[in-house]
Amino acid sequence: MKRLNILLMLILSLTSLNLLAESSTKPFAEKKVVLQISDPNPFKQTLVLNVANNLIKHYGPDKVDVEIVAFGPGLRLLMDGNVNQSRISGLSNNGVRFAACKNTIAAFSKNLGHKPKLVKQATPVSAGVVRIIDLASEGYTLVKP
Amino acid sequence: MNIKKIALLAGLAAMSTQTYAANWLALQGTEAPNASARAKVWGFIQPEYQRTDGTKIPAGGFAGENMSPNMIKPDNKSNETFNIRRARIGVRGTGFPLDDKVNYFFLAELGNNGITKLGKTGVAATDASITLNHIPGARVRVGLFKTPTAEEGLQAIHVFNYVNFTNVTNQMMLERFTDGDGSSTGVNGITQSVGAFRDQGIQVFDTFKVNDWEHSYAVMYGNGNGINFGDNDNNKDTYVYWSSELIFGGKGGRRQGLKMFLWNQDGTRTLTGASNSGGAGEYDRTRNGLGLTFSKGKYRAAFEYMTADGMIFNGSDGAAVPGTPNPNNGNLASVNVLTDDKADGYYVDFGYKVLPKLELDLRYDVLNRGTETVAGERKFDTVTVGAQYFLNKKSRITFNYEIRNQEAPGFTDAQNPNLIADGLDDLMSVQLLAIF
Repeated sequence: MKRLNILLMLILSLTSLNLLAESSTKPFAEKKVVLQISDPNPFKQTLVLNVANNLIKHYGPDKVDVEIVAFGPGLRLLMDGNVNQSRISGLSNNGVRFAACKNTIAAFSKNLGHKPKLVKQATPVSAGVVRIIDLASEGYTLVKP
Repeated sequence: MNIKKIALLAGLAAMSTQTYAANWLALQGTEAPNASARAKVWGFIQPEYQRTDGTKIPAGGFAGENMSPNMIKPDNKSNETFNIRRARIGVRGTGFPLDDKVNYFFLAELGNNGITKLGKTGVAATDASITLNHIPGARVRVGLFKTPTAEEGLQAIHVFNYVNFTNVTNQMMLERFTDGDGSSTGVNGITQSVGAFRDQGIQVFDTFKVNDWEHSYAVMYGNGNGINFGDNDNNKDTYVYWSSELIFGGKGGRRQGLKMFLWNQDGTRTLTGASNSGGAGEYDRTRNGLGLTFSKGKYRAAFEYMTADGMIFNGSDGAAVPGTPNPNNGNLASVNVLTDDKADGYYVDFGYKVLPKLELDLRYDVLNRGTETVAGERKFDTVTVGAQYFLNKKSRITFNYEIRNQEAPGFTDAQNPNLIADGLDDLMSVQLLAIF
């Protein structure tokens, strides 16, 4: 029974790890793009959201699969209360995904003295750069606005 | 506290977290949450050319001397001057970007104007403040910054649509600091920088967004010593401000909307009477105002009405440039202050963009100064015709022609106050602005 429980937990945890990748599936997507935001510059924050929006507008929400990966200072884009929160929500409704680097979250926690609260659309990934490499190997085009 | 009050406070708190830079209080005192730089360097330069006919004082004890209002400020040495009116550089942001609850604003003035020239400072800090955004609905700004008063003074100067302020704002709101009231035979000059619509102190403020409306409040407690560092007496000023704005669209300093506002400033000034300048004592200084601004599409309009009670700038002896020797008795012309008198004034202002890059402007302003006595009352009215050509979003050329009139209603046309008033020239100005 104990072994069964452990097996069940393992399956559940693997499922949750794959949640981001599986939720990303857009069966009719013809283009796959990963956008990198690792810069603290507010203009870059706006720009990366603009690029995502332009991709959705050009190809259509079902035809393009977009994920924004935030790490380093760029994680500020995904902090709760961000001035861009409503845009993030709008893009999320159109299927754009937001990945937040756990390493950066840990670094921010150390600096802040508490864990930063992220927008609800943000999904933590083990490392932002690893996430980008993984997506690239799956055929995603990396764009760094 | 009843449930309704708790719900109201909770609602206000919730709303406050949804708002960000969108009006002067917020634009100058806050930063966009989690989207501001650690240190954003910015500033602007305003070179200009101003000219009058340079008419001399037509009558009175200083007849034949340069007439102060016909001389270009702040130097008072020529009726035709090229000048760097403002040259400001500043830095603002959130020093520790991960904590967006603390932001700062610093701006220094290197131009030639009432701040640097009268203050004899060369360079002066015009703004140096820190804002704490920890309490929902009650942001706290501490330091040196613009006071929550008249729109013409509170607005960012680089989006000001004219070269010169209206009479009512210039004379009633742009505070001059002197030792005395100028009633004695000694010279009474301006001793430090003009107030520049600023004060050092603490301000509690915030903005609440409700559908398309934005409501803002500010309460401030300050030195009452303008832009000048330190305090000059034990008296403090209080400020109360409210605005409600229906937002049509856009953002920043040129956001479109209909804004209504009212405010009060209350304080006491101390005159030492040093150098036999007269009027030593303490005097109350109160200012009140209300107004509205409108901006939609090609159209722009503004109206303000203000009143003053006490410590009102009253020009100079015989309209002479302060410090000019009186040919009859050798006394130097002083700056005068109406310590216990009243004044009021208003302006209406219209702008219309005839082309996307060209706006035509028309402004009419009135000041009734010294209304408590027949002999002391002076009426000023000015019609300003203007044009702004926007070279790009960050630079423009402004041309103004001011048709200026002054009258002393308690005197006949043949008496000196009105003869002197007739010497007031129109003023032409061209200003170039570049923001970086």
